[in-house]
Amino acid sequence: MTSSSPAKSLGARRWVPLIALAAVAVVCLALPQVLSSYWTDTITTWIPLAVAALGLNLLTGYNGQISVGHGALFGVGAYTTALILNEWHWPFLVTVVASAVVCFVAGVVIGLPALRIKGLYLALVTLAVATLFPQILEQFSDTTGGSAGLGITNRELNRRGVMTDRSIRFEPPDLALLSADDAKASSQWRYYIFLLVAAICFLLVRNLVNSRAGRSIIAIRDNETAAEVSGVNVAAAKVFTFGISAALAGIGGSLSALELARVSSGTFTLVLSLNLLVAVVVGGTPSIAGPAIGAVFLGFFTNVITPEFPEDVKPLTPLILGVLLVVLMLAAPGGIVGMYRQLQARLAARRAISQTAISQVP
Amino acid sequence: MEEFISYLFIGLGNGAVYAMLGLGLVVIYRSTGLLNFAQGEMAMFATFIVWTLADSGLPLWLAMFGGMFGGFVIGVVVHQVVVRPVGDPHQKPLAVVIVTIGMFLGFNALAKLIWGADDKTLLNLFGRSGIDIFGTEVAWQKLGALAVLAIEAVIFWMLFQRTKIGLAMRAVASNPESSALCGIPVTRVLMFGWGLATAIGAVAGTFTAPITAVSSNLMQLTLIYAFAAITLGGFDSFVGAIVGGLLVGVLSDVLPRYVDFFEKMPLAPAFILILVVLLVRPEGIFGQRKVSRV
Amino acid sequence: MTAQRPLRLAAVAAALALLLSACGRDDDNADDTGGSDNTTETTAASDEDGGGDGGDAAAFIVPEEDCANYEGTKGIEGDTIKIGTVRPESGAYSIYDTITKGLEAYVTAVNTDGGVTAGDGKTYKLELVKADDAYDPAKTPAEVRRLVEQEGIFAMVGEIGTSNNLAVRQYMNDNCVPSIGLATGSPEWGKAAEYPWFIGGLPSYATEAHAFMEYLKTEKPAAKIALLYQDDDFGKAYQATIKKDIEGTDITIVDEQSFNPLTETSPESKVAQLATSGADVFFVGIGGAPCPAALRAQPSDWTPMTYISITCSGKTAMALAQGRDEGIYSTQATYDVGTAADQANPKVQEFFTKGAAAGLQEAELQGGIAAAGWGFGALFVRGLELTPTVDRATLMNTLYSLDGENFGLALDDAAAHTNGADDPWIIEDLRVIKRTAGSWEGVTELISYDGKSNDFVG
Repeated sequence: MTSSSPAKSLGARRWVPLIALAAVAVVCLALPQVLSSYWTDTITTWIPLAVAALGLNLLTGYNGQISVGHGALFGVGAYTTALILNEWHWPFLVTVVASAVVCFVAGVVIGLPALRIKGLYLALVTLAVATLFPQILEQFSDTTGGSAGLGITNRELNRRGVMTDRSIRFEPPDLALLSADDAKASSQWRYYIFLLVAAICFLLVRNLVNSRAGRSIIAIRDNETAAEVSGVNVAAAKVFTFGISAALAGIGGSLSALELARVSSGTFTLVLSLNLLVAVVVGGTPSIAGPAIGAVFLGFFTNVITPEFPEDVKPLTPLILGVLLVVLMLAAPGGIVGMYRQLQARLAARRAISQTAISQVP
Repeated sequence: MEEFISYLFIGLGNGAVYAMLGLGLVVIYRSTGLLNFAQGEMAMFATFIVWTLADSGLPLWLAMFGGMFGGFVIGVVVHQVVVRPVGDPHQKPLAVVIVTIGMFLGFNALAKLIWGADDKTLLNLFGRSGIDIFGTEVAWQKLGALAVLAIEAVIFWMLFQRTKIGLAMRAVASNPESSALCGIPVTRVLMFGWGLATAIGAVAGTFTAPITAVSSNLMQLTLIYAFAAITLGGFDSFVGAIVGGLLVGVLSDVLPRYVDFFEKMPLAPAFILILVVLLVRPEGIFGQRKVSRV
Repeated sequence: MTAQRPLRLAAVAAALALLLSACGRDDDNADDTGGSDNTTETTAASDEDGGGDGGDAAAFIVPEEDCANYEGTKGIEGDTIKIGTVRPESGAYSIYDTITKGLEAYVTAVNTDGGVTAGDGKTYKLELVKADDAYDPAKTPAEVRRLVEQEGIFAMVGEIGTSNNLAVRQYMNDNCVPSIGLATGSPEWGKAAEYPWFIGGLPSYATEAHAFMEYLKTEKPAAKIALLYQDDDFGKAYQATIKKDIEGTDITIVDEQSFNPLTETSPESKVAQLATSGADVFFVGIGGAPCPAALRAQPSDWTPMTYISITCSGKTAMALAQGRDEGIYSTQATYDVGTAADQANPKVQEFFTKGAAAGLQEAELQGGIAAAGWGFGALFVRGLELTPTVDRATLMNTLYSLDGENFGLALDDAAAHTNGADDPWIIEDLRVIKRTAGSWEGVTELISYDGKSNDFVG
């Protein structure tokens, strides 16, 4: 009796995450069916942030390298997509892959000096990258459009017979799943494609962390010297992690460019890098679900809660967010996932105590 | 040559401000072991206090000291109420970074709430006239900034090398637990560090504000340049902050005037130098090498 | 481990399938669009739709042709018209939030007076819904869509920022939602044939530069210009017009420098460089606090004839110049709320009394930034007063066929004329002014550039 009960409950507990995952999947798939096209588009904007935060989490949470420059990599992905689409009109998803490749290379280039530069110095070098990126965009504003921005467009005749640059859009296929209204169907289709890309990214990262390579990555975070002694190729693993992390940020940037059909230098500032960091830490590190939770938290705060504030409270919004962040870090330095894990551990401990109590009953 | 001198002193004057803010960052890093993203916003807040006092008729010198006092109090309160409760930055670096980002947002919004969004004027501490150096007019304000930086450097050196509290701060920086065991009031030392950092932020702000205007974004760009400065100099070194600050100032104000490629990327020369320096010396020019234990 | 493999395979397969379908889709688009560049050609449209001479209000915009789901009277509920605006309440450009305060004050003043009597004879109250995009054009679309779709506004009024407005231009046009009195003077807002649902609330930056260049040609026919321009759409519009206007004259640009407020702490060293160029004219085409900073940075031995952008000619910015504003030039289309002589004008008096009643502070009243927002509100309300029926298309057509209107704080002699795509600019009457003892004084008569604003674009 006493020996079989923990095993049983362990088996039951193994199912809990799977059921939760299935529930999340169902909700994610069902959302655009119930939401208006405005809300569908709004939650679509959260997906790129979640993917980029996933990349940052891999680097910071699992590998222990702090980057304050992922906003720049996000921007590299966005501009890669914008320039490719305007020049060569590639299919959307191919440009996402191309952006990932470009950012992987950029990540490796940044990662190489990171072999020598460690800890907070690395954070500061990535910070410099984040602040330099908008300046580079300005220097080459003939190509990038500078702060006026660059629309991702196709030339089309408008209804008045004037040739205009029309923003790219996602042409929805004929599926019963999608709405009959063309504009709404386009929003839904875009959401599903984004969701799929994000799901693939999350799955790949999950497999990576659970693999042999992933264990090396984590070992480096916990103790670099020890990892090296036990045969991990630290240099290769760190550069590889930086590259993958950058590629994910690039995918996020690419998706965001596809979503907005526009890029401009004012977007990819230090603020974006800090937002990504906030998403990662608020969600909880290291964890796979954390970045998604963090991105949803930020999106929910800015797009759902903030507009509901009464007019005279609105100027206080950044103050409220600031206080919220401080309080959250005071209450749960491990983020939302950390809070959940703590709760779980406490429940497990209580269960263990009650079980020992039972087993001690003669 | 004349142009060069004029660019050089503009660069040195700006660099002195980056160095001042950098000194604050170094104090906080050395005492608490974290990068404070809110450093610039705290300095901005203290500068608004300077402006309020100056606007009410106080001479600017006195107003600056008032702002420094206000900044000191703010720093102490922030440490006690916000930073300390989060815990040891060495244990939870990310949580502490997010806390400083939270403070960044908070101080910015609070300043706008108290003082409004419109730009305010702060006069030059050293007036509007200049002095002739090699046939070029150099503003007293720029030389004044350098002089004030030099005074700060001397005070810092005296404080850290010649006083008990300086000794205590150095002890806390190298090993907080042993310091506590030795009877050093660690918390009070850290409070003092935060207060000091914000107080010199008020000085940095007093020199930044006349260049543009007193507003809630006063220090946001300056902070970035200050970060570049301490990365270059080594962020546990006061000398590093000063040399780094002046170097970044000169590089970003002089080089783009001669090299077209850098025209719109004033930070690029400094950044290239940072990369080169860190690849050769990963702890910055004046930083201390860390020995890690397995 | 084995259980994961099929899952992974399925994911990859799904991705591939999507890729292929995406390839197929995009080909259709590529066919119509291949090989085209970014220049916009206005084909037959302006002849076809640009008519409407003599106030034929229905001629310019035909919403049934322009958009799929036209909802002409959305945002009007009973006797209340809901309007929206997006502005940078947070972020590095939050000073422009003061524009919105001016707009809000105008709305409050109108409502306090009992509302606006529109051209259809009914009296409406106004309700203003504000949103914050922190001046980040990536955030603007979401905020504008929220205002249009969730809040259900009738029109946008006084939306701030060139790239921010560009980010939503297509959306607003596709949905036939008016955006009136844009707080930007980019030449982009002259493209009414392509984007008829946007109408500017400032003079075109090109027209402004042209007005000064005309004056310069008579005053200093052999001027040597040192140009400091903001490194964006706004500054580049000045640069382009100046270059166009000096063609065939003896005026030269001896040095030009760009300044970017997002990445540079101060324009000091650039001004120092310009000062060595030997120029006798200094054109300051930058805005915000860096504009007076550029004036202060002038070495005392360099005293060129200096021109500053209309956007920084207000009292707040001039106070920051700390005396270096004496003798500089600018242009104006409205009375200057910071100039003592202008303050006696009844329009300015009305702005002071009603603005103060609506909660504007003394510094805001005289600063000049809030006055701009007041003007955008006045423009919208004048449109309402004139429109025969209150719906989106008729209101826009009314604004595109103004015949000598004067509103807000406009100079008394100014008269706004518009005519569809041929003449989409409302504010085209300007005069060159000079700063004398803390006040602006006109040095030219009010000059009408009616219908020409698009020609001045470089």
